[in-house]
Amino acid sequence: MNLEEYKGVYVFAEQVDNKLSGIAFELLGKAKDLAGDLDTYVAAVVIGSEIKGLADELAAHGAEKVIVVDDPELKVYRTEPYAHALSEVINKYKPEIMLVGATAIGRDLGPRVSARVATGLTADCTQLEIGDFPINPVAGKEQKHNQLLMTRPAFGGNTIATIACPDNRPQMATVRPGVMQKIDKIEGAKAEVEEFNPGFTPDNKYVEIMDVVKAVSETVDIMDAKILVSGGRGVGSPENFRILEELAEALGGEVSCSRAVVDNGWKPKDLQVGQTGKTVRPQVYFAIGISGAIQHVAGMEEADVIIAINKDETAPIFDVADYGIVGDLNKIVPELTKQIKAAAISK
Amino acid sequence: MDFALDKKHEMARALFKEFAENEVKPLAQDVDETEEFPAETVAKMAKYGFLGIPVPKEYGGQGCDPLTYTMCVEELAKVCGTTAVIVSAHTSLCIDPIMTYGTEEQKQKYVPDLASGRKLGAFGLTEPGAGTDAQGQQTKAVLDGDEWVLNGSKCFITNGKVADVYIIIAVTGIIEKRGRKMKEISSFIVEKGTPGFSFGTKEKKMGIRGSSTYELIFEDCRIPKENILGAQGKGFGIAMHTLDGGRIGIAAQALGIAEGALERTVAYVKERKQFGRSIAQFQNTQFQLADMATKVEAARLLVYKAAMAKATQRSYSVEAAKAKLYAAEVAMEVTTKAVQLHGGYGYIREYEIERMMRDAKITEIYEGTSEVQRMVISGDLLK
Repeated sequence: MNLEEYKGVYVFAEQVDNKLSGIAFELLGKAKDLAGDLDTYVAAVVIGSEIKGLADELAAHGAEKVIVVDDPELKVYRTEPYAHALSEVINKYKPEIMLVGATAIGRDLGPRVSARVATGLTADCTQLEIGDFPINPVAGKEQKHNQLLMTRPAFGGNTIATIACPDNRPQMATVRPGVMQKIDKIEGAKAEVEEFNPGFTPDNKYVEIMDVVKAVSETVDIMDAKILVSGGRGVGSPENFRILEELAEALGGEVSCSRAVVDNGWKPKDLQVGQTGKTVRPQVYFAIGISGAIQHVAGMEEADVIIAINKDETAPIFDVADYGIVGDLNKIVPELTKQIKAAAISK
Repeated sequence: MDFALDKKHEMARALFKEFAENEVKPLAQDVDETEEFPAETVAKMAKYGFLGIPVPKEYGGQGCDPLTYTMCVEELAKVCGTTAVIVSAHTSLCIDPIMTYGTEEQKQKYVPDLASGRKLGAFGLTEPGAGTDAQGQQTKAVLDGDEWVLNGSKCFITNGKVADVYIIIAVTGIIEKRGRKMKEISSFIVEKGTPGFSFGTKEKKMGIRGSSTYELIFEDCRIPKENILGAQGKGFGIAMHTLDGGRIGIAAQALGIAEGALERTVAYVKERKQFGRSIAQFQNTQFQLADMATKVEAARLLVYKAAMAKATQRSYSVEAAKAKLYAAEVAMEVTTKAVQLHGGYGYIREYEIERMMRDAKITEIYEGTSEVQRMVISGDLLK
């Protein structure tokens, strides 16, 4: 393998129902940084059926080149034709870096492709940068420059591993959604579009899609929620949970509660967090009007970020909170919702 | 040294026993099954004066000594652990601190109603974050003009919601002691019905299921300035001293449960036949019963000694701790063995012996766990 032949930072631009997923733009944002460090270009690979119209949108988010693989076989994601398409793109264009979103689709596709093109893949990365490998020089070992250093949490987030792929190309990574920043849209941007047809010969590896069911989350499982807006007795009444629901809606999160709320009959037991309720590990946990007795804290202290709102500055919840506001939740929560909505619009 | 009860105590015990057998025992199983507070029994006990036994007559009580009160709890516990703890919490944890630390006005205002049983009492110290570490209080009381404003909550409060008068421990400030910041803790008398004072969860318990165990919630609850009990900042000492007395009550409850289980077991093994003879004729049964009876007797002497110490000594912490520690562990052991000697029937709710085993366990935990009693005893030994 001649590593010099490999050029460009490529992203797999995931689309579903011919609409680009947010992760595609996040990856392009990151790819732009990496390409800047490597003094190379950014390309997006989009795979599907009747998708030529997506190129401009990818250009507006930073793609200089768009490779389109368009075939009726690719209408709905299936492992075999998609893996074949992306592998062939890599074999032809020889990218230096290939990024895939760590979505359900990307986590299925990434490893297949990396095995076919015989290179390394780091899954679910949260940080990507260009640097030296080994990071610190080791006597008697060549230190390679301009390597992709891929960082990911392992063992359930208890350790952080930084991984490089020095001897094979492309350097492949699936990237956790929501971690990278998309760039501001470049209005009227155009990319160089190339159509590529690797040729599809359906075989017995082609699965048949029987039915696609769109999830409608009627009942939520708070254990799966990424963002939880949790209320305690301090919320005051079941009606007043409306302000928490509005905040949760603005954040795309769910509402949970403390035992006191369940005991008062304000919320059903399956929303209870704590020793006698559910243990949750969301990325963000809002503890609103919750004093933070250990019986509750035991169920949520593993949350990545804990934000507490309580009128009592000595409430134990502040001992575990990353961010805290002392004050009246009836004023703070609606204001927070307003600000978050405003921020979302300006994005 | 006289180990015989005098006539007065004998008569009192006979009265308690008769009441327990006739009024409490028939309801005990139902109280456990339904988890309902035995309000009618409490009303009857009030009529008989059981709710003010150690209270002086001028405050509406019976004017008896602590031993008489102890025997009342013991006799009730022989048939029903729930009924025993209602009397104990009311007398030891609510009336006693008002009698010991209250002003004359406070005593006149509260004690006659409590001693006569027109009102029931409770004691609020424990919080979700402050159990054995009672200093870890979060409930606050702030003086605002001529009122204290309480905010916080208490959990696992015996007689919660059914009681009318509550002794509540709360933090009233931060003090510097030898360069260390410490909480200043005070105690208060709070009446049911005060705005801002409500009840939360009713706990579902393993045993003493008819005892009303509730969470208390204070949200900007305002009480008159004069409802502070004792001096500001003396609340922790008051709570500890109150628990010393309460432990004698719980020791009596544990003793009663053990005695009740032993009595039932003796009767049962005489009746039950296997291999053509009563199981009382097997040496294992005999030796088990001998051990149980010996331990119960040892516990009884410790409990009575603690009751006498309360009558005659200024400090009786160690006697109370030893009595509660030992009686509670004996109750647990004796009831467990009693279930065993009943065989399969012991595990059936109809036979009531399993209820005694469930009731016994709490005596090792509340009013200071067995571990706390060991801390008190060893602390005194090694001082």
